[in-house]
Amino acid sequence: MRNKIVFYLNGTRKELGATQASMMLADYLRYDQSLTGTKIVCAEGDCGACSVLRYFPHIKGVDNDNYLPVNSCITLVSQLDGSSLVTVDALKNKDQLHEVQKAMVSCHGSQCGFCTPGFVIALTGLVEEKLSRHEKKITTCEAKNSMTGNLCRCTGYKPIIEAAESIDLSQCESIKKRFYSEQQEVDLLRVFSESVEINSGDFHFFAPKTLTDAIEFLKVYPDTRILGSGTDLGVVHNKRKTKLTKVMSLHLITKLYDVSEDQGVVTVGARVTHTEFRHFIKKRIPDFSKYLDIFASPQIKNLGTIVGNIANASPIGDTPPAFLALRAEVVILGHKGERIVPMDKFFLAYRKTTLIHGEIITHIRFNLPEKNSSIKFYKYSNRKDLDISAVNFAIHVDWDGNDKKKIKDITIAAGGVAATPLRFIKTEEALKKNFNIDEGVKELHGEFKPLSDLRASSAYRHVLLENYFRKFFSEVSV
Amino acid sequence: MSLPHDYAHTHVCGESEFVDDRPIMRNELFCDVFFSTRAHALIKRVDFTEALKMPGVVQIFTGHDFSHNLWGTIFKDQPILATDKVNYAGEGIAIVLAESFEEAQRAKEKIIIEYTDLAPVMSISQAKKSQSFIIPARKIERGKVDEAMKESPLTLEGKIIIQGHDHFYLESQASIAYPLEDGQIEIHSSSQHPTETQHVVAHALGLPDKDVVCVVKRMGGGFGGKESQAAPFAAMAALCAMKLKRPVRLCLTKDDDMIMTGKRNPFENEYKVGFSQDGKIQSLVVNLFSDAGAYADLSTSIMERAMLHTDNAYFIPNIRVTGQVCRTNHHSHTAFRGFGGPKGVATIEKIIEEISHSLKKDPIEVRKINLYSDVDNKNITHYGQVFKNNCLGRLIHDLEKKCDYKKRRLEIEVFNKTDKNFLRGISLTPVKFGISFTTRFLNQGNALVLIHNDGSVQISTGATEMGQGVNARISEMVTSELGLARSAARVMPTRTDKNANTSPTAASSGTDINGAAALLATRKIKKRLSELALKLMDIPKEKWASKTAGLGTEPEVELTDPYLNENDPNKGADWKSGKATYFDMVFEEGYVFHPKHRDKKIEFKYLVLEAYLNRVSLSDYSFYKIPGIEFNKMTGEGDAFLYYTQGTACTEVSLDRISGEVKVLRTDILMDLGRTVNEDLDIGQVTGAYIQGLGWVTTENLFYNDQGLLLSHAPSTYKIPNIQDTPRIFNVELLENDENYANVRGTKAVGEPPLLLAISAWTAVNDAIKQLPHYIAYYPEVRIPATSENVLRAMMPERFKEWE
Repeated sequence: MRNKIVFYLNGTRKELGATQASMMLADYLRYDQSLTGTKIVCAEGDCGACSVLRYFPHIKGVDNDNYLPVNSCITLVSQLDGSSLVTVDALKNKDQLHEVQKAMVSCHGSQCGFCTPGFVIALTGLVEEKLSRHEKKITTCEAKNSMTGNLCRCTGYKPIIEAAESIDLSQCESIKKRFYSEQQEVDLLRVFSESVEINSGDFHFFAPKTLTDAIEFLKVYPDTRILGSGTDLGVVHNKRKTKLTKVMSLHLITKLYDVSEDQGVVTVGARVTHTEFRHFIKKRIPDFSKYLDIFASPQIKNLGTIVGNIANASPIGDTPPAFLALRAEVVILGHKGERIVPMDKFFLAYRKTTLIHGEIITHIRFNLPEKNSSIKFYKYSNRKDLDISAVNFAIHVDWDGNDKKKIKDITIAAGGVAATPLRFIKTEEALKKNFNIDEGVKELHGEFKPLSDLRASSAYRHVLLENYFRKFFSEVSV
Repeated sequence: MSLPHDYAHTHVCGESEFVDDRPIMRNELFCDVFFSTRAHALIKRVDFTEALKMPGVVQIFTGHDFSHNLWGTIFKDQPILATDKVNYAGEGIAIVLAESFEEAQRAKEKIIIEYTDLAPVMSISQAKKSQSFIIPARKIERGKVDEAMKESPLTLEGKIIIQGHDHFYLESQASIAYPLEDGQIEIHSSSQHPTETQHVVAHALGLPDKDVVCVVKRMGGGFGGKESQAAPFAAMAALCAMKLKRPVRLCLTKDDDMIMTGKRNPFENEYKVGFSQDGKIQSLVVNLFSDAGAYADLSTSIMERAMLHTDNAYFIPNIRVTGQVCRTNHHSHTAFRGFGGPKGVATIEKIIEEISHSLKKDPIEVRKINLYSDVDNKNITHYGQVFKNNCLGRLIHDLEKKCDYKKRRLEIEVFNKTDKNFLRGISLTPVKFGISFTTRFLNQGNALVLIHNDGSVQISTGATEMGQGVNARISEMVTSELGLARSAARVMPTRTDKNANTSPTAASSGTDINGAAALLATRKIKKRLSELALKLMDIPKEKWASKTAGLGTEPEVELTDPYLNENDPNKGADWKSGKATYFDMVFEEGYVFHPKHRDKKIEFKYLVLEAYLNRVSLSDYSFYKIPGIEFNKMTGEGDAFLYYTQGTACTEVSLDRISGEVKVLRTDILMDLGRTVNEDLDIGQVTGAYIQGLGWVTTENLFYNDQGLLLSHAPSTYKIPNIQDTPRIFNVELLENDENYANVRGTKAVGEPPLLLAISAWTAVNDAIKQLPHYIAYYPEVRIPATSENVLRAMMPERFKEWE
C-alpha cells in the first residue's frame, strides 16, 4: 500500500502527500510549483486555458497511447496517480521553441496570451497523435477538432487555424520521445501495481487494486465519493458547492478499462473514457460516434468516463438518452453481490439513481442494434460545439419488414425535457400499435412538460423534440 | 510578412506574466467579494460571525472602511461596496480576507444577510414608465424632420431590441496591492486605465495620488470591460493591503466576475423613417433607449456614441436622434468594444433592411443610394462634421465584386425554394466609425523615451497592452524613426509614476495617441542626435569623446538648438516613410549618416555613447493632443472625430430549419485602415473583432433571474464563439488608402470598427428568414442576439404559439 501519489511532471518524478494530492492540478502547478504557464479561467473545463498533456501508460487503447490534452483545473492531483504530465512551461527545448509555438508566433495565433498556452497544448496533443501515425500534414478539420475545447476571445481563431495548418510535422520533435522513457514506464507500472491510501484527516483518498477492496472500503466509509474522472465533481468542488474530502478512485483496477464486444453484446467498463468509447463504437454505430463528436471537449472526453456520465444522472447528460435508446443495462456491484438494472429503471428522480451507498457501477452493457433497425441521436445546444444540451434525443426502431411500414419495437428517449433522462413509453406503444407519425407527435407532447431555463424555453423544447421526431422518420424512411 | 506581437514568443511558452502569475509573497493574503443577490433592497442585517470563524479568515471589510466609498468615471455615484442599500444583484457588499483564496471563498458562503426588498426597475420599459433616467435625454437634430416625414411618399415604423454582451476577457478582474514604506501603495492591476485606477484607489483610501502607483504589465483581454470597472476591485485590494500592511491579491473567479461586472448596454430603439420609392431616406426619427444598470459608469458617453453612429454610412438629410439612458437595477453596464457605435449602426442597418424588404429591392441597392458622398454636399454628418476621406463607395463596390455578391444572392434564392433542411441568407453591410474620444479632454497622451548607453531603447506610455499589440506598433514606429530593428526597443509596463494623467486605452485610440506622443518624444532625441552626428563628421575620430572624455582634453560638442516643440506627428515627416529628418541626417539600419557622406556613417550605438559623453540628453518626454476636436455635447454639434475608420463585410449564413441553429458559411471583409503600421496585427484585430461581434449577434445570451442575478455566468452557460464557429471561408483584405493625413503616419485605428461588421451576420439571418412565405408583407422581428431559439421562433411562429 502506498501513501503517496506518484506521477511525472515534465520528466521529474513527484511523490505527493495529502496537501498536494487534495489540490486541483492547475492550482498545484501554479501555486505550489510556480508553473504559471497553465492558466485558470473558468475552473469548469469549458475553456481549455488550463490544458496540460497527460500520458497514462496503463491503458494503451487505440486513442490513448499518446500524451493527450486534459483540463488541469477540474482534475485532482490524486487522479493523476500513475501518469506522466507535460505542461506548456516545458515545451521549449533549451532556447528553441517547439514547432507548434513557432507556428503560433509567426501566424499571429496569440494576442493577449491568456488562452495561448492552452491552445499550444491542444495543438501539441494533435501533433503527437499525428506523429504516432507518421502523418505529414494537419488538415483544417483536424486543427479545428483538436482545439474545440479551447476558447479564444481575441483572434477570431483564423490565425490559430492557419498556425496549425502551417506546421511541418517532419520538423516536430515528439514530446513522448523527449519526456517519456522506458525507466519511467517501469516505474509507473510498478507504482500502478500498488493500491494507495492517503489520510490526513482533512483529506482521505483511497484507490484500491480490486473491486472487493473497493466494496469493503465503502462499507467502512459510506460517505465516500466515487470519483470517475471528476469532470463534474471537480467543477462542483471548484464552485465551492461541496468539498472533496473523502474520495475513492477506481483508476488502479485494470479490468474496468475494458471495452469489448462479444457476439453483439458490448460491455463498457467503468473507467472507459469517451475518447476510447468513441473510437470503439465508430464502426459499430457510426451515428453514435458522430453524436459524441459534439459531446464536450477533447480534453473532457480524454478524461471523462461513459459510466461517470450515466452515474452523474444529469437530466441534460448526453449519453443517458443514447443508452436508453440502446436498451442498455447497468451492472452494479455491492457487498451483497451483483445486480443488473435496465437503464430505464436506473434514473429515479432529479440526479437520483437506484444506486445505494456502498454500490459501484462496474460496467454497462447493451446489444448492438439488429440488422433491420434504425437508430439515431440528436443534440441541440446553444452553441453547436462544446456546449451542454438544451435537448438531446435518441430513437431506436426495430422494423417489422424491410419496407419500414411497421414497427416491431421502438425506444424513444430524450434529455433536457424532464428531471431525469426520459423514455417515451406511451408514444412507443402507440407507434407499435399504429405507425402514424402525426399520432406519435401528439403522444410525444403529452409525455413531457419541460421547464424554461437559461438553455431553452419550454415551448422551444416542445418544438425541437417534435422536429427531431419528424426528422428521424423522414431520414430513415425508404 | 509583419512582425509578430512583441511578446508572442513568451505568450506561447506561458512565460508572459499576468497579475495572478506574480509570485505569491510569504505574507500575502487573498480576498474575495461578497455580493448582493437582490436587485433592489435595504440591507437589514449582515452577520459575519460564522464567516469570521472559518479557517484561515483574517478579516472582513465593508464600505465603511473606505475613506471615500464613492467612485465613478463621469459621475461619482457608485459605492465601491454597498453599505445600507443594494441597487443590483451582484453589487459588492463585503471583502473577505483570508490566508488562501479557497478559504476566503468558503468563508464568504457563511455570511448571513437579510434584506428588505424594494421595488426594482428591471427593464428599459419599466424605467421609461417610472421615469428612471441617469440624465435628461439628449438630442441631435438636422433639417426639417417632421415636415420631411409628412412629405415622404412612404414611411415605416419599428423597433429593435438589443441585449447585453459580456466581455468574456479570459483573465477576470485581477489586482494585487503591495503596501510600501511610508504609507504608499503599489497596485498591479489588470486595467485599461491605470490613471483612473490610481486615482480611485487614492481617493478611496484618502491618500494623495503621489502615494499610489498603478502598474499594468498586460491584460488577458480587456475589450472595454477593464476601462472603468477594474478600479473598484483595485481599491478593495488596496484597502486590505493598507489596513493589514500585507500584500493582498484579489483575482475574481469567472463566475463572480460575470455576475458583478457590467456588460455592453442593452438598447431598445424605436424608429420612424420616411423614404422614397427608390429607397432614399428622406427623414428619420430614432429614439434610442439604453439600460445603464444601477449607476452611470460610462453609459452617457456610450449613448452619445450611439447617437453619433445612427447615420452609419448614410447621408440622411432630415434626422432627429434622441438618446435616453435608463437607470435600472442591473449591474452597471460599461464600455465594450465599439462603445455605443454598434447599437446605433444595428438600428440604421435594420431600417435599411426593412425599407428594402418593403420595396422588394436588394438591400445593397438601398445602401448605395443612401451612402455618404462627396457629390452634392452629401458628406456632412447629422452633427455637422464634414466626412473626409470617404472610402465607402469604393469599399462596397470592391467587396461586392470580390465576393460575387449578386451571383450568390441568386443562388441562395433558388436554394431556399428547394432545400427542406436549411435556409440561407446573405448580407453586405458597411461601417463608418468615428475615431477620437467624444469627450475632448481624453484625447491627450504622453510618452517617455529613454535611450540607454548601448543604444537600446525603452518606451513608456499610458497605453496598456491587452493583446491588441499597441506596444508592438508603438515600438515599431519609434524604432523605424531611429532606423533600428524593433528588437532594439522594449515598451515598458504602464506605470503611473512614469506617465501621469493618461487616458484609458480605449476608443481604439491607443496607438494613435500614445504612438504619436512616443514618436514626438523620439524626434526630440533624434533631432539632437542628428546635429551631433553632423558635427561629429567634422571631428577626427580620435578626438571623439569616447576616446577623450575621461581626460577632458577636447571641448564638448555643443548643440545649437537641442529643443523641438511639436504637436503634429506628421509635420516635418516624409509622408511616404513617415520619418522626420533633421540636419539632413538619415537614420537607417542601425547607422546614422549624411546622404552625401555615406562613408562617414556612424553606428547608432556609438552615436548614442558620444551623446552621453557630450552631455546630450538621450531621454525625452512628449505630450500629444488630438487637434480639432470641437464637439458640443449639449447642442450635439461639432467635429466629434479626427477621422473615420471604414469597412464593409459580406456574410452568408445557413439556418437549420429543424433547430434554428445559425451557421456562418462565408465572410468577406474589406477594411480601410489607412496605411497600417503592422498589417498582420491589424488583420488579427479585424478577425477577432468580427468573431466577437458574431457572438454578440448570435449565441451570446445573457440570462438573468427575476432579481437580475446573472445565471449564465460561465462558459458552460454563456456561449462565446468556438473555433468551429469561425466561417469556413473567411477572407480579410485591406483597402489601399494612403490619404489619411489626419493621423500619425497615415494610419487608422482598428480596435473597434470591425466588430460592427458582424452586424452583417445578423442582417443575413434576417435576410434568410424574410424569404419564408409568411414574411412577404412583414419584416421578421428577431432581436440581437439571434439565438437558435429566436431564429426558430421567427421561422415557425405558429408552432411556438401552440406551447406558449
